Amino acid sequence: MEMLIKLFPGIGSLFVQDPVIAGSRIVLIVLGFVLAYYGYKRTLEPLIMVPMGIGMICINASVLFLANGQPGTLFLDPLISDPNQLMNIMQVNFLQPIYNFTFSNSLVACMVFLGVGAMCEIGFIVANPWVSIIIAIFAEAGTFATLILGVWLGLAPNEAIAVASIGGADGPMVLFTSLMAAPDLFVPISVIAYLYLSLTYAGYPWIVKWMVPKKYRAMDIIADMPEVSKKSKFIFIVISCGVLCLLLPMGGPLIMSFFLGMAIKESGIVPYQELVENTVLYMATLLLGLLLGCLCEASTLLNGKVFIIVALGIFALAVSGVVGVIGGWVVYWFKGGKNFNPVVGIAGVSCVPSTAKIAQHAAEDENPFAVVLPVAMGANVAGVIVSAVACGVLISTIDMIMK
Amino acid sequence: MGVVAYAGMAYGLTAVISLAVIGLIVIMDKVMGKGNTEDEGGTDE
Repeated sequence: MEMLIKLFPGIGSLFVQDPVIAGSRIVLIVLGFVLAYYGYKRTLEPLIMVPMGIGMICINASVLFLANGQPGTLFLDPLISDPNQLMNIMQVNFLQPIYNFTFSNSLVACMVFLGVGAMCEIGFIVANPWVSIIIAIFAEAGTFATLILGVWLGLAPNEAIAVASIGGADGPMVLFTSLMAAPDLFVPISVIAYLYLSLTYAGYPWIVKWMVPKKYRAMDIIADMPEVSKKSKFIFIVISCGVLCLLLPMGGPLIMSFFLGMAIKESGIVPYQELVENTVLYMATLLLGLLLGCLCEASTLLNGKVFIIVALGIFALAVSGVVGVIGGWVVYWFKGGKNFNPVVGIAGVSCVPSTAKIAQHAAEDENPFAVVLPVAMGANVAGVIVSAVACGVLISTIDMIMK
Repeated sequence: MGVVAYAGMAYGLTAVISLAVIGLIVIMDKVMGKGNTEDEGGTDE
Protein backbone atom coordinates (compact mmCIF):
# COMPACT_ATOMS: atom_id res chain seq x y z
CA MET A 1 0.00 0.00 0.00
CA GLU A 2 2.79 2.43 0.92
CA MET A 3 4.51 1.62 -2.36
CA LEU A 4 1.27 2.34 -4.23
CA ILE A 5 0.88 5.67 -2.43
CA LYS A 6 4.47 6.65 -3.27
CA LEU A 7 4.29 5.53 -6.89
CA PHE A 8 0.82 6.90 -7.67
CA PRO A 9 -0.01 9.59 -5.12
CA GLY A 10 -3.02 10.69 -7.20
CA ILE A 11 -4.64 7.31 -6.55
CA GLY A 12 -3.00 6.65 -3.17
CA SER A 13 -4.22 9.94 -1.72
CA LEU A 14 -7.79 8.75 -2.27
CA PHE A 15 -7.18 6.12 0.43
CA VAL A 16 -5.70 8.43 3.02
CA GLN A 17 -7.96 11.46 2.58
CA ASP A 18 -11.26 12.00 4.37
CA PRO A 19 -13.70 9.66 2.55
CA VAL A 20 -16.05 12.61 1.85
CA ILE A 21 -13.27 14.55 0.11
CA ALA A 22 -12.02 11.45 -1.72
CA GLY A 23 -15.55 10.66 -2.93
CA SER A 24 -16.08 14.29 -3.97
CA ARG A 25 -12.84 14.19 -5.97
CA ILE A 26 -14.12 11.22 -7.96
CA VAL A 27 -17.51 12.90 -8.52
CA LEU A 28 -15.79 16.10 -9.69
CA ILE A 29 -13.51 14.17 -12.09
CA VAL A 30 -16.60 12.57 -13.65
CA LEU A 31 -18.42 15.92 -13.69
CA GLY A 32 -15.39 17.54 -15.37
CA PHE A 33 -15.54 14.92 -18.11
CA VAL A 34 -19.30 15.49 -18.56
CA LEU A 35 -18.85 19.28 -18.81
CA ALA A 36 -15.95 19.03 -21.28
CA TYR A 37 -17.87 16.50 -23.40
CA TYR A 38 -21.09 18.54 -23.52
CA GLY A 39 -18.99 21.62 -24.27
CA TYR A 40 -17.46 19.71 -27.18
CA LYS A 41 -20.98 18.72 -28.30
CA ARG A 42 -22.03 22.42 -28.06
CA THR A 43 -24.85 21.53 -25.64
CA LEU A 44 -23.04 23.73 -23.11
CA GLU A 45 -20.96 26.81 -23.88
CA PRO A 46 -17.72 25.32 -25.29
CA LEU A 47 -15.53 28.39 -24.70
CA ILE A 48 -15.90 28.01 -20.94
CA MET A 49 -16.85 24.37 -20.48
CA VAL A 50 -14.00 22.65 -22.36
CA PRO A 51 -11.18 24.32 -20.37
CA MET A 52 -13.26 24.24 -17.17
CA GLY A 53 -14.03 20.52 -17.49
CA ILE A 54 -10.39 19.67 -18.16
CA GLY A 55 -9.30 21.88 -15.27
CA MET A 56 -11.74 20.08 -12.95
CA ILE A 57 -10.45 16.68 -13.99
CA CYS A 58 -6.79 17.62 -13.58
CA ILE A 59 -7.07 19.47 -10.26
CA ASN A 60 -8.90 16.54 -8.65
CA ALA A 61 -6.78 13.84 -10.26
CA SER A 62 -3.28 15.21 -9.73
CA VAL A 63 -3.24 15.28 -5.94
CA LEU A 64 0.13 14.51 -4.40
CA PHE A 65 1.79 14.77 -1.02
CA LEU A 66 3.47 18.13 -0.51
CA ALA A 67 6.60 18.81 1.56
CA ASN A 68 4.55 19.00 4.77
CA GLY A 69 3.01 15.59 4.06
CA GLN A 70 -0.43 17.05 3.36
CA PRO A 71 -2.24 16.25 0.10
CA GLY A 72 -2.28 19.12 -2.38
CA THR A 73 -1.58 20.03 -6.01
CA LEU A 74 0.93 22.02 -8.02
CA PHE A 75 -1.82 24.07 -9.68
CA LEU A 76 -2.99 26.80 -7.30
CA ASP A 77 -4.17 27.42 -3.77
CA PRO A 78 -7.03 29.95 -3.65
CA LEU A 79 -7.14 30.08 0.14
CA ILE A 80 -3.66 31.47 0.79
CA SER A 81 -3.71 35.02 2.13
CA ASP A 82 -0.45 35.35 4.06
CA PRO A 83 1.96 37.41 1.87
CA ASN A 84 5.04 35.30 2.73
CA GLN A 85 3.25 32.05 2.02
CA LEU A 86 1.88 33.54 -1.18
CA MET A 87 5.34 34.56 -2.41
CA ASN A 88 6.61 31.03 -1.76
CA ILE A 89 3.67 29.30 -3.35
CA MET A 90 3.88 31.50 -6.47
CA GLN A 91 7.22 29.88 -7.20
CA VAL A 92 5.70 26.41 -6.98
CA ASN A 93 2.12 26.47 -8.30
CA PHE A 94 2.07 27.21 -12.01
CA LEU A 95 -1.38 28.87 -12.09
CA GLN A 96 -0.93 30.82 -8.84
CA PRO A 97 0.42 34.02 -10.49
CA ILE A 98 -2.44 34.03 -13.01
CA TYR A 99 -4.96 33.44 -10.23
CA ASN A 100 -3.63 36.21 -7.98
CA PHE A 101 -2.83 38.78 -10.66
CA THR A 102 -5.82 38.32 -12.95
CA PHE A 103 -8.60 36.37 -11.25
CA SER A 104 -8.78 37.34 -7.60
CA ASN A 105 -8.55 41.07 -8.46
CA SER A 106 -11.26 40.60 -11.14
CA LEU A 107 -8.93 41.79 -13.95
CA VAL A 108 -10.01 38.78 -15.98
CA ALA A 109 -13.68 39.76 -15.53
CA CYS A 110 -12.88 43.27 -16.77
CA MET A 111 -10.98 41.84 -19.77
CA VAL A 112 -14.00 39.72 -20.70
CA PHE A 113 -16.21 42.77 -20.33
CA LEU A 114 -13.85 44.79 -22.55
CA GLY A 115 -14.28 42.17 -25.27
CA VAL A 116 -18.06 42.00 -24.75
CA GLY A 117 -18.22 45.80 -25.04
CA ALA A 118 -16.34 45.67 -28.34
CA MET A 119 -18.98 43.28 -29.69
CA CYS A 120 -21.98 45.34 -28.52
CA GLU A 121 -23.75 47.75 -30.85
CA ILE A 122 -25.21 50.78 -29.09
CA GLY A 123 -27.25 51.51 -32.23
CA PHE A 124 -29.72 48.78 -31.15
CA ILE A 125 -30.46 50.75 -27.96
CA VAL A 126 -30.70 54.06 -29.80
CA ALA A 127 -33.30 52.45 -32.11
CA ASN A 128 -35.58 51.41 -29.20
CA PRO A 129 -34.24 53.08 -26.07
CA TRP A 130 -37.24 52.91 -23.73
CA VAL A 131 -38.42 49.44 -24.77
CA SER A 132 -34.87 48.08 -24.36
CA ILE A 133 -34.28 49.54 -20.92
CA ILE A 134 -37.75 48.71 -19.53
CA ILE A 135 -37.40 45.06 -20.53
CA ALA A 136 -33.87 44.99 -19.09
CA ILE A 137 -35.07 46.46 -15.78
CA PHE A 138 -37.75 43.75 -15.55
CA ALA A 139 -35.17 41.07 -16.32
CA GLU A 140 -32.98 42.20 -13.42
CA ALA A 141 -35.68 41.16 -10.91
CA GLY A 142 -33.99 37.83 -10.17
CA THR A 143 -31.07 39.64 -8.55
CA PHE A 144 -33.21 41.42 -5.97
CA ALA A 145 -35.61 38.51 -5.34
CA THR A 146 -32.61 36.26 -4.69
CA LEU A 147 -31.09 38.79 -2.32
CA ILE A 148 -34.24 38.62 -0.16
CA LEU A 149 -34.47 34.83 -0.35
CA GLY A 150 -30.75 34.46 0.42
CA VAL A 151 -31.05 36.43 3.64
CA TRP A 152 -34.18 34.49 4.59
CA LEU A 153 -32.25 31.24 4.04
CA GLY A 154 -29.60 32.34 6.51
CA LEU A 155 -26.86 33.89 4.39
CA ALA A 156 -25.20 37.05 5.64
CA PRO A 157 -26.40 40.10 3.63
CA ASN A 158 -23.05 40.49 1.83
CA GLU A 159 -23.11 36.78 0.90
CA ALA A 160 -26.71 37.09 -0.30
CA ILE A 161 -25.71 40.07 -2.49
CA ALA A 162 -22.85 38.06 -3.99
CA VAL A 163 -25.12 35.09 -4.83
CA ALA A 164 -27.92 37.39 -6.03
CA SER A 165 -25.63 38.80 -8.72
CA ILE A 166 -26.15 35.51 -10.61
CA GLY A 167 -29.60 36.95 -11.46
CA GLY A 168 -27.91 39.48 -13.75
CA ALA A 169 -26.77 36.49 -15.84
CA ASP A 170 -23.47 38.16 -16.56
CA GLY A 171 -20.41 36.10 -15.66
CA PRO A 172 -17.91 38.97 -15.22
CA MET A 173 -20.45 40.81 -13.08
CA VAL A 174 -20.87 37.79 -10.79
CA LEU A 175 -17.10 37.48 -10.39
CA PHE A 176 -16.73 41.17 -9.65
CA THR A 177 -19.65 41.41 -7.21
CA SER A 178 -18.75 38.25 -5.30
CA LEU A 179 -15.12 39.36 -4.99
CA MET A 180 -16.19 42.73 -3.65
CA ALA A 181 -19.02 41.52 -1.40
CA ALA A 182 -18.03 38.04 -0.18
CA PRO A 183 -14.47 37.08 -1.17
CA ASP A 184 -14.58 33.86 0.90
CA LEU A 185 -17.54 32.55 -1.13
CA PHE A 186 -16.57 33.77 -4.57
CA VAL A 187 -15.09 30.44 -5.66
CA PRO A 188 -18.30 28.38 -5.30
CA ILE A 189 -20.46 31.32 -6.44
CA SER A 190 -18.50 31.91 -9.64
CA VAL A 191 -18.25 28.20 -10.45
CA ILE A 192 -21.99 27.69 -9.96
CA ALA A 193 -22.81 30.91 -11.85
CA TYR A 194 -20.83 29.83 -14.92
CA LEU A 195 -22.31 26.34 -14.82
CA TYR A 196 -25.81 27.80 -14.78
CA LEU A 197 -25.08 30.43 -17.40
CA SER A 198 -24.14 27.61 -19.76
CA LEU A 199 -27.51 26.04 -19.04
CA THR A 200 -29.50 29.12 -20.09
CA TYR A 201 -29.31 27.80 -23.65
CA ALA A 202 -31.24 24.74 -22.48
CA GLY A 203 -33.62 26.27 -19.90
CA TYR A 204 -34.73 29.63 -21.26
CA PRO A 205 -36.39 28.36 -24.46
CA TRP A 206 -38.73 26.37 -22.18
CA ILE A 207 -39.64 29.47 -20.18
CA VAL A 208 -40.41 31.31 -23.45
CA LYS A 209 -42.58 28.45 -24.74
CA TRP A 210 -44.35 28.18 -21.41
CA MET A 211 -45.12 31.90 -21.12
CA VAL A 212 -45.74 32.96 -24.72
CA PRO A 213 -48.42 31.07 -26.71
CA LYS A 214 -47.54 29.94 -30.21
CA LYS A 215 -49.49 32.63 -32.11
CA TYR A 216 -47.70 35.41 -30.24
CA ARG A 217 -44.28 33.79 -30.68
CA ALA A 218 -44.79 33.88 -34.44
CA MET A 219 -45.20 37.68 -34.55
CA ASP A 220 -42.78 39.65 -36.68
CA ILE A 221 -41.41 43.04 -35.61
CA ILE A 222 -40.85 45.68 -38.25
CA ALA A 223 -37.89 47.47 -36.74
CA ASP A 224 -36.97 50.93 -37.87
CA MET A 225 -33.25 51.30 -37.36
CA PRO A 226 -32.47 55.03 -37.32
CA GLU A 227 -29.20 56.11 -38.81
CA VAL A 228 -26.87 57.20 -36.05
CA SER A 229 -23.44 58.46 -36.99
CA LYS A 230 -20.36 56.90 -35.44
CA LYS A 231 -19.53 60.29 -33.93
CA SER A 232 -22.89 60.43 -32.12
CA LYS A 233 -22.53 56.85 -30.89
CA PHE A 234 -19.00 57.57 -29.64
CA ILE A 235 -20.18 60.64 -27.75
CA PHE A 236 -23.13 58.69 -26.22
CA ILE A 237 -20.73 56.00 -25.03
CA VAL A 238 -18.15 58.35 -23.53
CA ILE A 239 -20.73 60.51 -21.73
CA SER A 240 -22.71 57.48 -20.44
CA CYS A 241 -19.47 55.95 -19.17
CA GLY A 242 -18.49 59.15 -17.38
CA VAL A 243 -21.94 59.58 -15.82
CA LEU A 244 -22.12 55.97 -14.61
CA CYS A 245 -18.60 56.13 -13.12
CA LEU A 246 -19.54 59.37 -11.40
CA LEU A 247 -22.68 57.77 -9.93
CA LEU A 248 -21.24 54.33 -9.14
CA PRO A 249 -17.48 54.51 -8.49
CA MET A 250 -17.49 51.01 -6.94
CA GLY A 251 -18.53 49.55 -10.28
CA GLY A 252 -16.04 51.80 -12.10
CA PRO A 253 -13.63 49.08 -13.33
CA LEU A 254 -16.43 47.05 -14.94
CA ILE A 255 -18.23 50.09 -16.34
CA MET A 256 -15.00 51.47 -17.80
CA SER A 257 -14.07 48.12 -19.37
CA PHE A 258 -17.47 47.69 -21.03
CA PHE A 259 -17.73 51.24 -22.38
CA LEU A 260 -14.05 51.29 -23.44
CA GLY A 261 -14.76 48.20 -25.57
CA MET A 262 -17.75 49.98 -27.14
CA ALA A 263 -15.73 53.16 -27.67
CA ILE A 264 -12.92 51.24 -29.40
CA LYS A 265 -15.47 49.71 -31.76
CA GLU A 266 -17.14 53.00 -32.60
CA SER A 267 -13.91 54.96 -32.98
CA GLY A 268 -12.83 52.52 -35.67
CA ILE A 269 -9.36 51.84 -34.31
CA VAL A 270 -9.08 48.57 -36.18
CA PRO A 271 -5.91 47.16 -34.55
CA TYR A 272 -7.37 47.74 -31.06
CA GLN A 273 -10.72 46.31 -32.07
CA GLU A 274 -9.14 43.15 -33.43
CA LEU A 275 -6.94 42.86 -30.34
CA VAL A 276 -9.85 43.29 -27.91
CA GLU A 277 -12.42 41.20 -29.81
CA ASN A 278 -10.07 38.32 -30.46
CA THR A 279 -6.91 38.13 -28.37
CA VAL A 280 -8.08 39.79 -25.16
CA LEU A 281 -11.57 38.26 -25.08
CA TYR A 282 -10.52 34.72 -25.99
CA MET A 283 -7.40 34.77 -23.80
CA ALA A 284 -9.44 36.01 -20.84
CA THR A 285 -12.19 33.45 -21.49
CA LEU A 286 -9.67 30.61 -21.73
CA LEU A 287 -7.97 31.65 -18.49
CA LEU A 288 -11.35 32.11 -16.84
CA GLY A 289 -12.56 28.65 -17.84
CA LEU A 290 -9.29 26.99 -16.84
CA LEU A 291 -9.09 28.76 -13.49
CA LEU A 292 -12.75 28.04 -12.72
CA GLY A 293 -12.08 24.37 -13.40
CA CYS A 294 -8.96 24.37 -11.24
CA LEU A 295 -10.90 26.04 -8.43
CA CYS A 296 -13.27 23.05 -8.39
CA GLU A 297 -11.10 21.17 -5.93
CA ALA A 298 -13.14 19.00 -3.60
CA SER A 299 -11.79 20.60 -0.42
CA THR A 300 -12.49 24.15 -1.72
CA LEU A 301 -16.02 23.42 -2.85
CA LEU A 302 -17.09 21.47 0.23
CA ASN A 303 -18.58 24.48 1.94
CA GLY A 304 -21.78 24.14 3.94
CA LYS A 305 -23.29 27.04 2.01
CA VAL A 306 -22.77 25.47 -1.41
CA PHE A 307 -26.20 23.81 -1.45
CA ILE A 308 -27.89 27.14 -0.67
CA ILE A 309 -25.87 28.79 -3.47
CA VAL A 310 -26.84 26.00 -5.88
CA ALA A 311 -30.55 26.54 -5.11
CA LEU A 312 -30.34 30.33 -5.13
CA GLY A 313 -28.43 30.40 -8.44
CA ILE A 314 -31.12 28.53 -10.33
CA PHE A 315 -33.80 30.61 -8.58
CA ALA A 316 -32.08 33.87 -9.61
CA LEU A 317 -31.82 32.93 -13.28
CA ALA A 318 -35.35 31.52 -13.38
CA VAL A 319 -36.88 34.66 -11.83
CA SER A 320 -34.90 36.94 -14.18
CA GLY A 321 -36.07 34.91 -17.19
CA VAL A 322 -39.72 34.78 -16.09
CA VAL A 323 -39.93 38.46 -15.10
CA GLY A 324 -38.06 39.40 -18.30
CA VAL A 325 -40.80 37.72 -20.36
CA ILE A 326 -43.42 39.48 -18.20
CA GLY A 327 -41.62 42.70 -19.19
CA GLY A 328 -42.02 41.62 -22.82
CA TRP A 329 -45.77 41.23 -22.23
CA VAL A 330 -46.01 44.63 -20.53
CA VAL A 331 -44.37 46.30 -23.54
CA TYR A 332 -46.65 44.30 -25.87
CA TRP A 333 -49.77 45.51 -24.05
CA PHE A 334 -48.39 49.04 -23.80
CA LYS A 335 -47.95 49.08 -27.58
CA GLY A 336 -51.54 47.90 -28.01
CA GLY A 337 -50.50 44.47 -29.25
CA LYS A 338 -48.97 45.88 -32.42
CA ASN A 339 -45.52 45.36 -33.90
CA PHE A 340 -44.03 43.67 -30.87
CA ASN A 341 -43.29 40.10 -29.89
CA PRO A 342 -43.27 39.27 -26.14
CA VAL A 343 -40.45 36.73 -26.63
CA VAL A 344 -38.09 39.73 -26.75
CA GLY A 345 -38.53 39.86 -22.96
CA ILE A 346 -36.10 36.98 -22.47
CA ALA A 347 -33.39 39.04 -24.17
CA GLY A 348 -33.48 41.51 -21.28
CA VAL A 349 -31.47 38.89 -19.36
CA SER A 350 -28.03 40.17 -20.24
CA CYS A 351 -26.34 37.01 -21.44
CA VAL A 352 -25.02 38.65 -24.66
CA PRO A 353 -25.88 37.47 -27.27
CA SER A 354 -27.32 34.11 -26.13
CA THR A 355 -30.69 35.33 -24.88
CA ALA A 356 -31.24 37.53 -27.96
CA LYS A 357 -30.59 34.44 -30.10
CA ILE A 358 -33.05 32.45 -27.95
CA ALA A 359 -35.72 35.11 -28.65
CA GLN A 360 -34.99 35.00 -32.39
CA HIS A 361 -35.07 31.17 -32.47
CA ALA A 362 -38.37 31.11 -30.52
CA ALA A 363 -39.97 33.41 -33.10
CA GLU A 364 -38.33 31.70 -36.08
CA ASP A 365 -39.51 28.25 -34.98
CA GLU A 366 -43.14 29.38 -35.40
CA ASN A 367 -42.66 31.75 -38.34
CA PRO A 368 -39.54 31.39 -40.50
CA PHE A 369 -39.96 35.01 -41.67
CA ALA A 370 -40.17 36.56 -38.19
CA VAL A 371 -37.24 38.82 -37.34
CA VAL A 372 -37.01 40.03 -33.74
CA LEU A 373 -33.23 40.04 -33.38
CA PRO A 374 -32.55 43.80 -33.75
CA VAL A 375 -35.06 44.63 -30.99
CA ALA A 376 -33.86 41.69 -28.87
CA MET A 377 -30.25 42.86 -29.20
CA GLY A 378 -31.31 46.30 -27.92
CA ALA A 379 -32.83 44.68 -24.82
CA ASN A 380 -29.73 42.50 -24.51
CA VAL A 381 -27.24 45.37 -24.56
CA ALA A 382 -29.51 47.37 -22.21
CA GLY A 383 -29.45 44.29 -19.95
CA VAL A 384 -25.67 44.57 -19.67
CA ILE A 385 -25.97 48.23 -18.69
CA VAL A 386 -28.68 47.49 -16.10
CA SER A 387 -26.61 44.61 -14.67
CA ALA A 388 -23.59 46.88 -14.36
CA VAL A 389 -25.73 49.52 -12.66
CA ALA A 390 -27.25 46.91 -10.30
CA CYS A 391 -23.79 45.62 -9.44
CA GLY A 392 -22.57 49.16 -8.74
CA VAL A 393 -25.66 49.99 -6.65
CA LEU A 394 -25.39 46.80 -4.56
CA ILE A 395 -21.68 47.21 -3.88
CA SER A 396 -22.01 50.94 -3.15
CA THR A 397 -24.92 50.50 -0.72
CA ILE A 398 -23.80 47.28 0.98
CA ASP A 399 -23.12 49.18 4.23
CA MET A 400 -26.81 50.09 4.50
CA ILE A 401 -27.81 46.47 4.98
CA MET A 402 -24.75 45.34 6.94
CA LYS A 403 -25.53 47.72 9.82
CA MET B 1 -32.76 48.43 7.23
CA GLY B 2 -34.77 45.28 6.51
CA VAL B 3 -33.74 43.14 3.59
CA VAL B 4 -37.03 43.66 1.70
CA ALA B 5 -36.78 47.45 2.05
CA TYR B 6 -33.11 47.33 1.02
CA ALA B 7 -33.81 45.14 -2.03
CA GLY B 8 -36.69 47.43 -3.04
CA MET B 9 -34.52 50.51 -2.61
CA ALA B 10 -31.63 48.98 -4.59
CA TYR B 11 -33.96 47.82 -7.39
CA GLY B 12 -35.58 51.26 -7.54
CA LEU B 13 -32.20 52.99 -7.61
CA THR B 14 -31.02 50.63 -10.37
CA ALA B 15 -34.13 51.43 -12.42
CA VAL B 16 -33.83 55.20 -11.90
CA ILE B 17 -30.12 55.31 -12.83
CA SER B 18 -30.66 53.07 -15.88
CA LEU B 19 -33.59 55.20 -17.06
CA ALA B 20 -31.54 58.35 -16.49
CA VAL B 21 -28.67 56.99 -18.61
CA ILE B 22 -31.07 56.07 -21.41
CA GLY B 23 -32.79 59.45 -21.05
CA LEU B 24 -29.40 61.07 -21.47
CA ILE B 25 -28.75 59.05 -24.64
CA VAL B 26 -32.18 60.01 -26.03
CA ILE B 27 -31.59 63.70 -25.27
CA MET B 28 -28.12 63.59 -26.85
CA ASP B 29 -29.59 61.84 -29.88
CA LYS B 30 -32.19 64.62 -30.23
CA VAL B 31 -29.65 67.40 -29.69
CA MET B 32 -27.09 66.01 -32.10
CA GLY B 33 -29.81 65.39 -34.70
CA LYS B 34 -30.73 62.20 -36.41
CA GLY B 35 -29.88 63.65 -39.80
CA ASN B 36 -26.18 63.29 -39.10
CA THR B 37 -24.43 61.64 -41.96
CA GLU B 38 -21.88 58.95 -41.22
CA ASP B 39 -18.69 60.39 -39.79
CA GLU B 40 -15.53 58.42 -39.70
CA GLY B 41 -14.49 58.32 -36.07
CA GLY B 42 -10.93 58.82 -34.90
CA THR B 43 -7.78 57.98 -36.72
CA ASP B 44 -7.67 54.51 -38.07
CA GLU B 45 -4.10 53.44 -38.33
